[in-house]
Amino acid sequence: MKNWPWAILAPAFIFVLIGIFSPWLMTHDPAAQDYGALLKGPSWDHWLGTDYLGRDMFSRIIGGARTSLVAMAFVLVAALAIGVVIGSFAGYVGGKTELVLISVIDIALALPSLVIALALMGVFSGENFNWMSDYWKMVVALTLAWWANYARMSRAVVVAELQQPYIEAARVMGASHIWIFTRHILPHVLGLVVVYASADAGALVLAIATLSFLGLGVAPPTPEWGQMLVDGMSYIEENAALVIIPGLALTAVVVSFNLLGEAFALQKVPRAVRGRLLARKKAARAAEEIARQEVEA
Amino acid sequence: MLKLDRRSFLATTAGLSFLTVLPRIAFADGHADTLRVAIAGETGDLDLLQNVSTLSSYSAVFDALIHYGPGGALEPGLATAWTIAEDGLSISFDLREGVSFTDGTPFDATAAEWNLKRWMGVADFSWIGIADAFDSIVIDAPNKITVKLKRPVPAALLELIIVRPVRFLSPKAAAGQPIGTGPWIVESYSSTETVLVRNDAYWGDKPAFGRMELKVVPDELARANALRAGELDVIGGDWVAALSPRRAQALAGEGMTIVAEPGTATTILGFSPQSPMMQDKAVRDAIFLGIDRAAVATVLFEGFADPTVDIFPATVPTAGSRTPVPARDVAAAQAALTAGGWAGDAAGWTKDGTALEIAFLVSEESFPGSRRIAEMIQGMLMEVGVKTNIETVDNATMHDRRPKFDYDLTFFGTYGAPYDPHGSLGASFVTASDTGPDGKIYVHPDLDALVATALETGGDAREGAMQAVYDWLRTNTAACPLVVTQRLWAVHPRVAGFTLPATDYDLPFKGITLG
Repeated sequence: MKNWPWAILAPAFIFVLIGIFSPWLMTHDPAAQDYGALLKGPSWDHWLGTDYLGRDMFSRIIGGARTSLVAMAFVLVAALAIGVVIGSFAGYVGGKTELVLISVIDIALALPSLVIALALMGVFSGENFNWMSDYWKMVVALTLAWWANYARMSRAVVVAELQQPYIEAARVMGASHIWIFTRHILPHVLGLVVVYASADAGALVLAIATLSFLGLGVAPPTPEWGQMLVDGMSYIEENAALVIIPGLALTAVVVSFNLLGEAFALQKVPRAVRGRLLARKKAARAAEEIARQEVEA
Repeated sequence: MLKLDRRSFLATTAGLSFLTVLPRIAFADGHADTLRVAIAGETGDLDLLQNVSTLSSYSAVFDALIHYGPGGALEPGLATAWTIAEDGLSISFDLREGVSFTDGTPFDATAAEWNLKRWMGVADFSWIGIADAFDSIVIDAPNKITVKLKRPVPAALLELIIVRPVRFLSPKAAAGQPIGTGPWIVESYSSTETVLVRNDAYWGDKPAFGRMELKVVPDELARANALRAGELDVIGGDWVAALSPRRAQALAGEGMTIVAEPGTATTILGFSPQSPMMQDKAVRDAIFLGIDRAAVATVLFEGFADPTVDIFPATVPTAGSRTPVPARDVAAAQAALTAGGWAGDAAGWTKDGTALEIAFLVSEESFPGSRRIAEMIQGMLMEVGVKTNIETVDNATMHDRRPKFDYDLTFFGTYGAPYDPHGSLGASFVTASDTGPDGKIYVHPDLDALVATALETGGDAREGAMQAVYDWLRTNTAACPLVVTQRLWAVHPRVAGFTLPATDYDLPFKGITLG
């Protein structure tokens, strides 16, 4: 039990590294077609073989990691920003505004995120959205489907923190709302939401692949794992590797991120990560202590 | 506690083995006289006037006046002979005598008139030339009728072969009862299966087996696996339960018989006539020249397709003269762009500050496998320097955008026999036609006039009028035909004498015997 966290982190870690360094790792142009090398098995030239258009599977898997990583990062950052702003605002302002915003959040949470994303993709496929590429449609749809969780969490943290005596003290000392929010409340909100978001990354990678699997996400020739899966389905009898390879990559990354999230939830994080988290927590507490002392002074 | 000695173990094993084999024996016995055919969607009640039921089952139950023969030859059906007046304004039919609907109602001039008046002269069916030009029906004799028209309809006889609404229903059939004069009678239908039994009173060659089960299997791999497992006897047919070339190749290696014949429908890359980019003939020419049709046919259709640049294949009547398929020529494609005022190279092209970038609308739901073809074409056009953005959309979006010409490139298909060439020409190349969500391949005022003339011209002049349309389309690079997919079926070894049905809208049963 002491050692497994490192193992579960490996695929997620490798995924992020591959995503970042993919241009240097790809052995071929992932879009280059070679009709003379269709559906080939692994060889020195093509380490994972080729697909139905003679494209190098290794390069496409590497390229697919980058596609998922970049899309995931965009969605996480955007959803987190929207969620934190709306949730914190609702929690901080309170009253009827909070009631309205929390209702909106509840409605958004009542439906599965993927269903919302699919519906939005349907809306975005209309002619009014032709100016957006399929990729950005997917990013926007997933962002709009993903923010509500973060908003609800942020609001809960803000409401809890507002009850703390040091906030009351800061108010008494005449600290502005912006000062209180940015210096005392936001670090708490981000501390929790960012940890949750890191665990949510797996679900997002899966959602990106699902949309592509359904033909609604990343447009060809950009390699994407979900798209590789669905395109490989037609060839599953003759060359199962076309399905197995992207399937395994997807499974490893999603399971890894999910276990990471579970570990965070159970606080069974790897020592290195736990050390960093504790350090961050200590720093935050020290900052609060200083603020409290300033208030008392 | 259970005690297991050698004797009881052997007895149990033998018993279990028998129980395992028993259903197979029962299954084999129960299906000895039954042909089991896969269909992709449920048949429904086969209402001839509604566009609901799948097209593939009508011809088994309902007969037509005229049958479709090889190469589009007209063969007698419920009409044994027909005469077109010299002015083309009336067509007389001698109706087959001694034919009855399966409910016992005689098929005669009165029944024929009742049927024809259900759709001739009815606005909903004005897309059929003979329905639009209909004037009246005269009963000349108990088994002879004359259809009078307001104007000549050269394709009238071919139109009487199509799947619906032209076939004949018993005038006494209650709503939802599919009662025809065809070789099969509907015994039952549900969302999973339609059961047909042989019409022993059928006037023509009766099927050699007594029962046909049409099993709804939407997934192509599931259909192939059911064929392998002996749960289906026949799969295939574009409008029955399409079989992909790759799957056919796999089944061929496993003892199944693959039957392939030249197809009657063309897969066409359509250029939006309203897209500013596609209105530039140089761009259309570059795309036309930059595509390797032979590679598309070989790589994605496993050779079960024939590359073409003609709108209709030679298997369709009056399809026009054959144009040799040019080899892919990237240099010629780039030269066409240069001649059209574009500047650039394989890295990209610009004209008046506009980059050459086109939107390729694709829907896997509308046309399975189309994204792979689109990817292949995207790669080919990339080498020319034409940046192609594939937009994958769902069926509803495709049906919304296609009629509005809201795309640069997209896939179309001609209807195939027995609808062509008049069907596709009159619908997909005419500005005023109403094709609903299917959209049109190309429209232009000059083309409208040519198509109208071709569709109105009969006799010896018809070929020439049709050729004028084909020449215009080719000269103006109005569309980019790619391949003609072959008609493809896979047959289980227990089926003998399999012959392809007359069209891909028909079920196979003629000549088949079951082992």
